[in-house]
Amino acid sequence: MVNIPKQFLDEILPSYWYNIVPDLPKPLPPPVDPPNTSSRIDLLRKVLPREVLRQEFTINRFIKIPDDVREKYKVLGRPTPLFRARALEEFLKTPAKIYFKFEGALPTGSHKVNTAIPQVFYTYDEGVSHVTTETGAGQWGAAVSLAAALYRVNAAVFMVKASYEQKPGRRALMEFYGAKVVPSPSKLTRIGREVLEKSAKHPGSLGIAISEAIEYALENGYRYVMGSVMNCILTHQSVIGLETMKQLEIVGEEPDVLAACVGGGSNFGGFAYPFIGLKNSREIEFVAVGSSEVPKFSKGDYRYDYPDTAGLLPLLKMITLGKDFVPPPIYSGGLRYHGLAPSLSLLISEDIVKWIEYSEKEILEAAMLFTRTQGVVPAPESAHAVKAVIDIALEARKSNEKKVIVFNMSGHGLLDIENYRSMMKRYSAW
Amino acid sequence: MKLLVAYLTVGYPTPKAFLELVKHIESAGVDVVELGIPPRFAKYDGPLIRKSYEHVKSLGIDYWALLKEARRAVEVPIVVLTYLEEFENIFASLVDKLNSIGVDSLLLPDLLIDYASSYENYLEMARDVGVTLFTSPSMPDKLIERVAPLSKLFLYYGIRPATGIPIPVDPVVLVKRVRALVKNRLVVGFGLSLNEVVDVLKACADGIAVGSVLIQLIESSGVEAVVKLLKELRGVIDGV
Repeated sequence: MVNIPKQFLDEILPSYWYNIVPDLPKPLPPPVDPPNTSSRIDLLRKVLPREVLRQEFTINRFIKIPDDVREKYKVLGRPTPLFRARALEEFLKTPAKIYFKFEGALPTGSHKVNTAIPQVFYTYDEGVSHVTTETGAGQWGAAVSLAAALYRVNAAVFMVKASYEQKPGRRALMEFYGAKVVPSPSKLTRIGREVLEKSAKHPGSLGIAISEAIEYALENGYRYVMGSVMNCILTHQSVIGLETMKQLEIVGEEPDVLAACVGGGSNFGGFAYPFIGLKNSREIEFVAVGSSEVPKFSKGDYRYDYPDTAGLLPLLKMITLGKDFVPPPIYSGGLRYHGLAPSLSLLISEDIVKWIEYSEKEILEAAMLFTRTQGVVPAPESAHAVKAVIDIALEARKSNEKKVIVFNMSGHGLLDIENYRSMMKRYSAW
Repeated sequence: MKLLVAYLTVGYPTPKAFLELVKHIESAGVDVVELGIPPRFAKYDGPLIRKSYEHVKSLGIDYWALLKEARRAVEVPIVVLTYLEEFENIFASLVDKLNSIGVDSLLLPDLLIDYASSYENYLEMARDVGVTLFTSPSMPDKLIERVAPLSKLFLYYGIRPATGIPIPVDPVVLVKRVRALVKNRLVVGFGLSLNEVVDVLKACADGIAVGSVLIQLIESSGVEAVVKLLKELRGVIDGV
């Protein structure tokens, strides 16, 4: 961990979130309703916490973090530490300096709780007793369950049935926080019942789980909370980048490269946007790292598409593989999403953010190297960023550049260790 | 004096009722009338206005002939609203047509969003009519500052993602942000409630635009009800 004098600690956690929209190079295309249907934008009004919607559409550069949310951030361990990966640098014999922001230090092991806390807080503040959401492997569901526990709000988490049965670890964690975990498709909703009628053993999908969570909220007057893609979620995640900026300032470093992995874009946006919008970003190289099994950067189109498989939400202009894209069974659950946050899609298409994609085999090797030098097991998603950083550091060795590389370790991989074990078998990497 | 801008879909609900309303619009206290020509896909409009477009399309009417009659009926400026996407390939002839009818300006909600890299060409092509620019909160500050001086009559600022849907927003925060960037007369619209009308004018907007509520009212209660509402709005605006 970098040495931060105690008197700075309270200063590192920001009082405001940062919203990049006023600083984008071009207008952010707004969400639109599909032609000839009922208004999906109107649906948002009925299921999202009012303050979340207000933030999404009241575009202001800085948004005050409610005192209560800031207190909860502290309870959970914010500011998260910034580490220098010296052992990795030495192993790679690179003149580059490598830093990483460690969001894995948060209780559920990933950055997701940064937006779960405010969204559940706004629900609680409205006097609504329940939140609903969906989860695939369980990172987002766990974050919502924790936030709900802190505010004593009930959480109903629709978990893709295949994961519910095969990944009991995170399911147990959610239940331990007090959430009700429902295998999806379920009999609680019309959509779930319809799927079950056709196929009683349906393994479920994230699309079905989203539809169930929205329907369940709509029918019961609950609020639905969302884990990524929406602009206000990237805004909530900006605590990551704002803290990193301050921490680097305190240790006297100017970053040359910033990297983070990308699923829907919330950890990348949260980490990099303050640097893109508030610094003279021409001097910094921004690298978004995706999965080559979900090749949205190399093969996706920039167009209006549904953010959810069921097509319940408004269309968003984004880089997408199409809502019906079926991802191969890679273990980086968080990167399997077909689309990308609209603001990040715009920054990629304007060449302000560069991208790179790696295969599961490549990231497995990077994760093992990182674990065996630094000791921290990266989440498989974060291992994509690790791989990019290793490659950049090796390039720097060739050109003998003393680059400062900073990446976001969005989560730790201890709950994924069985997945790593399966990957090792899959790629015979014993 | 603060501006009252009223939006009507050309020919809605019937050509007769539409012209009847246009004739009364000046005396109702409206300063600028916006007339919408239905596109194939009105992507930045809400459900009510989209429905009005579908309706007039089903009537199979001559929009241009109705525009001419509307022009003869009122002295106040007429701003024609339509989507550039619809006229992209025949934009020059659209401009000629509007120019010969004698409308005062053209408003294209998709111009700065979907044509952000080529909007200047279209402004140049539309020079004879002029363009009232549509801006929104999701536009970057730098763009708003750059384009605002090019806007004819006023700068339109739509504070919600679609017309007529009461998405909760903070109009005062939004208007203050744009007010600090531009010198134009600033007209704010998109789903304003009466309370919000007062709020945005107090936040130093120069006028308000109403549309969906008029469309709804003309269908449910007829021309007289719309005229009455416009007069009430005029009163509210003048009282701020």
